[in-house]
Amino acid sequence: MSAPSHADHALPVEPLLKVAGLAVSYGRIRAVDGVDLAVEPGRIVSLVGSNGAGKTTTLMALSGLLPLSAGHITFAGEDITTLAPDLRVARGIAHVPERRRVFAGMSVRENLMLGAYSRDDAVDIASDLERMVALFPRLGERMAQLAGTLSGGEQQMLAIARGLMSRPSLLIMDEPTMGLAPQMIDLILDTVLEIRKQGMTVLLVEQNAVEAMRLSDHVYIMRLGRIVHEDSGANIDPERVKSFYLGADA
Amino acid sequence: MDYLGQLLANGLVLGAIYALAAVAFTLVYGVVRLVNFAFGELFMLGAFLTASLMLPEVRLLGMIVPMPGFSLPVAALGAIVLTGALGVLVDRIAYRPLRNAPRLAPLITSIAVSVVLQSLAQTIWGAEELRFPEFHLATLPPVVLFDSIYLSVMDLVVMATALAAMLGLSAFIARSSLGRAMRASAEDQMAATLVGIPVNRVVAAAFAIGSGFAALAGLLYAQTYGFAHSNMGFLPGLKALTAAVLGGIGSIPGAALGGLILGLVEALGAGYLPNGTAWKDAISFVLLVGLLYLRPQGLLGKPELNSAGRGSLLGGASEFGAAWLRAGFAKVDGLLAKSAAAGPRAALVLLALAVLVGLLVPSDYWLRILTMVVIYGMLASGLNVIVGFAGLLDLGFVAFWAVGSYLTSILFVLVLKDQFGVAPADIWWLLYLNLPLAGLLAAGFAVILGTPTLRLRGDYLAIMTLGFGEIVRVVAINWMDLTNGPMGIRGIPAPNLFGIALGSPRAQFFFALALAVLVVFAIARLVRSYVGRAWVAIREDEEAAEAMGVPTARYKLYAYAASGFVGGFVGVFYAHSQQYISPLNFSLFENILLLMLVVLGGLGTFVGPFVGALIWIVFLQLALDLPFVQAYPETRFALLGVVLIVLMVFRPQGLAASARVALTMPGARPGALPGARAGRAKEAA
Repeated sequence: MSAPSHADHALPVEPLLKVAGLAVSYGRIRAVDGVDLAVEPGRIVSLVGSNGAGKTTTLMALSGLLPLSAGHITFAGEDITTLAPDLRVARGIAHVPERRRVFAGMSVRENLMLGAYSRDDAVDIASDLERMVALFPRLGERMAQLAGTLSGGEQQMLAIARGLMSRPSLLIMDEPTMGLAPQMIDLILDTVLEIRKQGMTVLLVEQNAVEAMRLSDHVYIMRLGRIVHEDSGANIDPERVKSFYLGADA
Repeated sequence: MDYLGQLLANGLVLGAIYALAAVAFTLVYGVVRLVNFAFGELFMLGAFLTASLMLPEVRLLGMIVPMPGFSLPVAALGAIVLTGALGVLVDRIAYRPLRNAPRLAPLITSIAVSVVLQSLAQTIWGAEELRFPEFHLATLPPVVLFDSIYLSVMDLVVMATALAAMLGLSAFIARSSLGRAMRASAEDQMAATLVGIPVNRVVAAAFAIGSGFAALAGLLYAQTYGFAHSNMGFLPGLKALTAAVLGGIGSIPGAALGGLILGLVEALGAGYLPNGTAWKDAISFVLLVGLLYLRPQGLLGKPELNSAGRGSLLGGASEFGAAWLRAGFAKVDGLLAKSAAAGPRAALVLLALAVLVGLLVPSDYWLRILTMVVIYGMLASGLNVIVGFAGLLDLGFVAFWAVGSYLTSILFVLVLKDQFGVAPADIWWLLYLNLPLAGLLAAGFAVILGTPTLRLRGDYLAIMTLGFGEIVRVVAINWMDLTNGPMGIRGIPAPNLFGIALGSPRAQFFFALALAVLVVFAIARLVRSYVGRAWVAIREDEEAAEAMGVPTARYKLYAYAASGFVGGFVGVFYAHSQQYISPLNFSLFENILLLMLVVLGGLGTFVGPFVGALIWIVFLQLALDLPFVQAYPETRFALLGVVLIVLMVFRPQGLAASARVALTMPGARPGALPGARAGRAKEAA
């Protein structure tokens, strides 16, 4: 298995997100170097790898939080390499950050309204609020509660719902299951599948590689700032993944 | 009862104005965690702009300029909009590049902006008061409440305006989409960015609103007291900041409450305390210090804001700057690194250079200037101990300097000469006794002042020390029997050694140089000891230092004591060198100037304070030759401010930062004490 297999590329679809030669540096340290990614519409693509592999850095560069040292990002046919973060949200990229980062001192409703900050269609925002309540009934019960008082799983639901409130075409999720109880992990991952069923494209970062492979159409494995392997979720060999995690070069 | 009622009414008017300005501080602090000292100046500009727009013509830059002569409401609106725009511009130029810089950088920049704006206003409108034009409502007869309390119609307008503005802002922050975005940005800038909030624009909006509030407060203040002046914003700005901190900075109801309390307390204090009007400025600061001690987060503040000051005050290199600029700095760094490696030899060379200059400079004029350089360098070194090495921002350092200067002046002039008729020349040795004595006294003061600040961090600490400094200044002005009040003390004898007068400029220069060698040597010894390592540990991360078992409280007090000692020690020489002191010598501006010198030269370095002093004082003199500066002397300060802002943006760590002391173990570089050899060299010379 020396060359990556492209069995899942049966249909030549134009990718929604295309990343070419992405590099990001922190001062003199290059954290991500020469990453190429393609995310086709309607798919779940995940990025796995051990701590410090550069996954979160890659995602932050995609949403414009970090400047690129090299490379290009194309989204829906438009070059967004130097676009400001708020304009990327307006173009349809929503990023659900690591450790959820809900606005703890604001109510659940306010958090959701902030998710729709880039939009100005009041009527549709109201109907989207109802859609979120349908997707996460637990949030509906707590609309007036401060977000900081929610449980970890509820905060994750809120973070995802907040991301969806911008009506994105690509949902980027960074470690959505981190620190959650097992039932909550299942619930969150089921939600990811549910959202995809409704037509959403998802780019997922997960430390839990087994879950990510089960869920994803395509998996990229990162190590030391580079993509070292990619394959369809079904084809990927768990043993090989393990070797990347442990650092032994296969 | 009537008297009380009138005082309460006056207090409410003043409180309403403080509250409006406090909102400016609190709003911007809430969103970007910046204490924007420049609001005091935007307050002043609000007053000037309104007055100018109301007049038929105004003298600007010495020329009569026709003005529209609007009525008060129109002029006020215009002034608020203009000031708001200026606030946004200031944020864009001076603060936004520093959004992720260490916390000291934007604070210093805001002080620099303040200096620039004040000097510009003085250049444009002149040093005299501008009479505030009378609005027709102000000519109506006053309203009389309960037969005895007089309130002018304008007083009522002031209170109603303040109330409406604050309720409006509260509703805006709570309900509107932009208000929600402000709160979101305040809580978590990264998450706010990720949901699509253009955080920079939201911050700009906060600056616009804050500046508008400052302008509104300023114009109401000027309206109430009938004039606008270029330094009218200074004290009300500090008071408003005090009010914001009092109420809990970041909270708008808190700012309103703090402003009201401050206004009422000041009015009542001025009315009931003996000689109250003179002491009323101290009252607010005593209130501030007391409250911060008992409740560091303020009345309505949330406690976690207080820990926001975590992390090192000092910064690393900036990412900004053109290639040639960075290349230039790289060359400076190389040179400094080389001389730092040379260590004691470099110090020796510097000292030899100073001696040579002292011997060769022919003019007494320039020798006096160079003596000032050394004095300011020493004072800045003292401040550097606490700010640069221990990382505690101290805006009350001048108090220690004042203690030293006053001790020796009172002893020599007011007690021995005036009361006992002792000629200063007969007791020349007292000066040498006073040096360490004043040092110890100031160190004692520093420990007393330092103790209540131990629980505070970052900006709160700075504000509390500022309060102390102002209290000492107000005491110096008003305790006539002790200090001779605003007249100051004259006839302080020049230094004298065994009957040999050292009054000549050249002798004074060498006297100062000898003291500087002592000061630098002592500081170097302290910094190179375990005490210095503990300081740097506290500076870099207080929590981590505590976790590693450093008794941070004790070492912070050591830092206060050391810094106070230097302040008192140098203060003695300062008094004898100037032969005249008054409370004006020890204003907050002097403290800020010293802080700027340290930052200019490089925090946490031994040479930095002297480099900063040299650049500044020589610049002041050279600038006098520029024709533009001759016409407008205030622009020198504006230029200094601009230099500082540029420096902060492009080189936040200071010019000589690469000479920052690397605290290796003492055994690692034997004999690497720059001060040690310098001390011996002095004996040889």
